[in-house]
Amino acid sequence: MAGSQSALRAANRSVVVDTVKQFGGLTQVELVEATGLSPATVSIIVRELLGAGVVDIATTTRSGRRAQLVTLARRVGLAVGVQIGHRHLSVALGDFSHEIIAEQHLPLPHDHRVDTSLDRVALLVSDLLEQVGSELVEVVGIGVGLPAPVDSGTGMISVRGLMRGWDDVHIGQVLSKRLGRPVHVENDANLGALAESTLGAGREYLDSVYVRASYGTGAGLILSGRLHRGFAGTAGEIGHIQVDPQGAVCRCGGRGCLDTVVGAQALIEPLRGTYGSLTLRDVISRALAGDRGCAQVVADAGATIGEVVAGLGVAVNPQCVVVGGELAETGELLLGPLREAVLRRVLPNEIAPIDVVPAAFGPKAEVVGALALALQHADVVLEVPDVVVPGVTDDGSREV
Amino acid sequence: MTADQRVPLVAMHGITKRFGAIEALVDVDLHVHAHEVVALVGDNGAGKSTLAKMISGVLQPDAGMIEIGGEEVALPSPQAAHALGVATVFQDLALCDNLDVTANLYLGRELRSRFARDDGRMEESARRVLRELKSRIPSARTPLRNLSAGQRQAVAIARTLIGNPRIIVLDEPTGALSVAHTAEVLTHVQRLRDLGLGVILISHNMNDVRAVADRIEVLRHGRNNGTFDAATASYEDVLAAITGAVPLGRRTSSRHIAG
Repeated sequence: MAGSQSALRAANRSVVVDTVKQFGGLTQVELVEATGLSPATVSIIVRELLGAGVVDIATTTRSGRRAQLVTLARRVGLAVGVQIGHRHLSVALGDFSHEIIAEQHLPLPHDHRVDTSLDRVALLVSDLLEQVGSELVEVVGIGVGLPAPVDSGTGMISVRGLMRGWDDVHIGQVLSKRLGRPVHVENDANLGALAESTLGAGREYLDSVYVRASYGTGAGLILSGRLHRGFAGTAGEIGHIQVDPQGAVCRCGGRGCLDTVVGAQALIEPLRGTYGSLTLRDVISRALAGDRGCAQVVADAGATIGEVVAGLGVAVNPQCVVVGGELAETGELLLGPLREAVLRRVLPNEIAPIDVVPAAFGPKAEVVGALALALQHADVVLEVPDVVVPGVTDDGSREV
Repeated sequence: MTADQRVPLVAMHGITKRFGAIEALVDVDLHVHAHEVVALVGDNGAGKSTLAKMISGVLQPDAGMIEIGGEEVALPSPQAAHALGVATVFQDLALCDNLDVTANLYLGRELRSRFARDDGRMEESARRVLRELKSRIPSARTPLRNLSAGQRQAVAIARTLIGNPRIIVLDEPTGALSVAHTAEVLTHVQRLRDLGLGVILISHNMNDVRAVADRIEVLRHGRNNGTFDAATASYEDVLAAITGAVPLGRRTSSRHIAG
């Protein structure tokens, strides 16, 4: 009898830890709601876990009242989130509350090399760890985002030609060998979707679409609360949907892909005559500063992306479209026309009218998603001595 | 390439400099616009630093013309160049370890109130400059010896911003830095560009150059050997121009006759 009771307690404990892990941090009242356990059980388990150093408690406020926020203790482990973009590299350290502890941003050249960039990822990770007084052994996992579809089985890019020179490299393997920790590679828009749907603007919804408007365009699909990757990880690659049958030929080999119309190069080209040398960052900051030419280019991009997203909306019927990526930093300049195009084209329904909102994490959605990915895969070893019934031989330890 | 009608911040035409038998620069052209990072690349002895020293008034050309803001100027001394809005960070940084960040920023051009040095005003604007650069230096009162190599480079860059310059020359700013510090310095370079300044960036590191530059100017044996748009230029093309793997026929559209 005692055995089955302690097994039950262990199971409840792991439910609580899993829930805390999923949400990053939540109050005891929220824990009760999320786990379905009784308030007394949650209270006892949290006290046990606190005693064992698995969780930490901090005071916070919920609807004006003081409350105890439960998070996984940082010494349970750190995670690393890496975003490799077309023109920059971001590395962030976070813990189980998905809080970013330290981060670093490095500008990268056009068509950056796989060997140099992965080397820089490794060096930045160890530099950042040193900054927070930690070491690689403390890292439970590393999540890496790439601006291309990724085969989750091999951690390789699954469509050839999208990133020059990166096609035949086992990115996950190269990094895990170098850093000695588990590495999980994923498409950047999928990571944005993961971050926004678990912790950000899409957390209220079971079905949502995350659109990443950046140097290229991509989308991540959350269906029934889960990330839908497709068999080869190419689901949501809206950057390669044809929008102009007479258009330019894309890197992927197709003609008139969305990326050839709203990608960085395509946005900058018509501005060059009057503005001279421009970068995507310039277009964004000038549009925000009220420059009409740049704002026009951003608005047109929003409308074009919106039409494609509307098609996606008809296909999967999301409750919410979350828009992130660098271009989304222009706010309503991009979102206004995008929303209008989506609402005009998508099938209206009475039950849940579709919502188009900016990403809650803004430009950090992808690294937060990479952190979340690493944490999802991490095993937390629960070594909780059985304090409730002293003297029981069953040590109650269990791996989740 | 579209014809550029804007007046460049700096334009150098037909610059030639000899040291005895050494041809340091032969008929070199260079121009930099506001809000633009121009990278100067080339092998050792290609003439990069010599050219930079002419803009900052350390060396004077034997022949050729320098224009700043569309007007021909003479730059007989670093002070003259500074007065015209040219600020330079040389490789050795020239900072004082025993002084704090503020004192280093104002070294040699301390602000004065009516009777004495105006420390309050200096510290205030030091903070403003560090903030403009979005630097990670904790305090304007930290002595230099407590800063890392990357932070020192940031102080040296911040120093150029004192006195509202228009053109910043950076000689090998990422030379001996770790990747994390390189990341910070490259972000600072982007920041200088965002502030609307013209930046001349001298570097050996093709990665760093291609990451932040708008345009890449290649020098080879003291001569122009190609102009590249950094947003599209491939690593191979730039490298070929540096090493001379491509015949000189490539020297390109950037050349126009002075006059």
